[in-house]
Amino acid sequence: MPSVRDLRDRIRSLKNTQQITKAMKQVAAAKIRRAEAAQKRARPYADALAQMLHDLIGAVSSVDHPFMQPGKSGAPAGIVLVSADKGLAGAFNSNVIHAAEALARRQGGARYYTIGLKARNAVRRMGMPDHATWALGSGEKIDTARAAARRASDDFRHGEISEIVLVSQQLITMMSQRPQTRKLIPILASDFESARDGEAGGRPRGAIEFAPSPEFVLSRLLPKYLEFTIYSAMLETDAAFFAAQLVAMTNATDNASKLIDELTIAMNNARQAAITKELLEIVAGAEALGVE
Amino acid sequence: MPSTLPFRLVTPTQIVFDGDAELVIAVTTEGEEGILPRHAPFLAALKPGVLRGNVLADGAATRLELATSDGFMQALPDGVTVLVDEAVRFEEIDVAEVREELQAATERQKAAQDDRELYAREQTAIEFANAKLRLTGHR
Repeated sequence: MPSVRDLRDRIRSLKNTQQITKAMKQVAAAKIRRAEAAQKRARPYADALAQMLHDLIGAVSSVDHPFMQPGKSGAPAGIVLVSADKGLAGAFNSNVIHAAEALARRQGGARYYTIGLKARNAVRRMGMPDHATWALGSGEKIDTARAAARRASDDFRHGEISEIVLVSQQLITMMSQRPQTRKLIPILASDFESARDGEAGGRPRGAIEFAPSPEFVLSRLLPKYLEFTIYSAMLETDAAFFAAQLVAMTNATDNASKLIDELTIAMNNARQAAITKELLEIVAGAEALGVE
Repeated sequence: MPSTLPFRLVTPTQIVFDGDAELVIAVTTEGEEGILPRHAPFLAALKPGVLRGNVLADGAATRLELATSDGFMQALPDGVTVLVDEAVRFEEIDVAEVREELQAATERQKAAQDDRELYAREQTAIEFANAKLRLTGHR
């Protein structure tokens, strides 16, 4: 049975841990707000981009752009994997990494482009020490997204990868995040057709004049679309990470409270047992000496 | 007939301008294009250049001038939207820095002669640097 002193030490160390998790919880809560504000600032651009894409899809017949040609068969898939830079957020990072690994297995091989230190480390452990990689949190996110998009699309154009797939965490609610896999490139004509059919009830927008041509504008738009999709996945990962961390730290703080309560009871029991034992010894000793 | 139209200028990271404009002139790949109220629906690719607008700020007409990188401009009955990677005002430009950028991009372009895509990318960087210099009157 642990002594009173052992228990007291454990309780003290738990209280310290609890203070740290409580502080991290508060920091995460504040950072979620900031991450959400960044997402909000990107919204007008996203809306305008989607609007333009929608108008273009309705207008183009065929586009001679590498992003719209099927990738080279036999080449590995290109996986853009976005994780957080830090841990202490439950299974947040490992979930998204497992999703990418599962995808790579299905595809029979993959080339990785990682954003986020946790993804970098995981892919390095898989035996790819010199894959293309960026940190999530350092520098301007839009520049990182651009660099990653360019690297991946260059490899795609050179036939080194057959497609570009984005794997990242999706923020569903504050309490739940889910890894999401999105195929970005190539965009095939059939994707367009289904998008167009889906819009059958959409508002007719009348004739739009394109300068110089819808095909040209679309071929300019596609690389921006790729960059921006990666950028917004980075923003979402940020927000989802802090949400996951908030939940993990709340749980850790609660668990510490529970453990402290249990240990306090155990400590009180042990102290009482020690007092009782001592009393019994004194009484027994007195009786043996025949003291009145 | 309205004499102004809603005008929005956005980049991935911020809304640079959101208000009313009497006139917006941007450099498309086909040359300068001015948008007045009641322009026909229109969508164009933009080259890096100087974007100008007569806008209303707090009810008073002002001139807006910005160096913008490549992007898109869409005019619809409900206003005109310009989408660019970057848009910088006169006061945000550091001439020495831009000259360095220009130099670096020119060198990278020379090294990328045989890759059409890379060449075009550096061309965009060069044109954007030139647009910034033009806005500050250094070119």
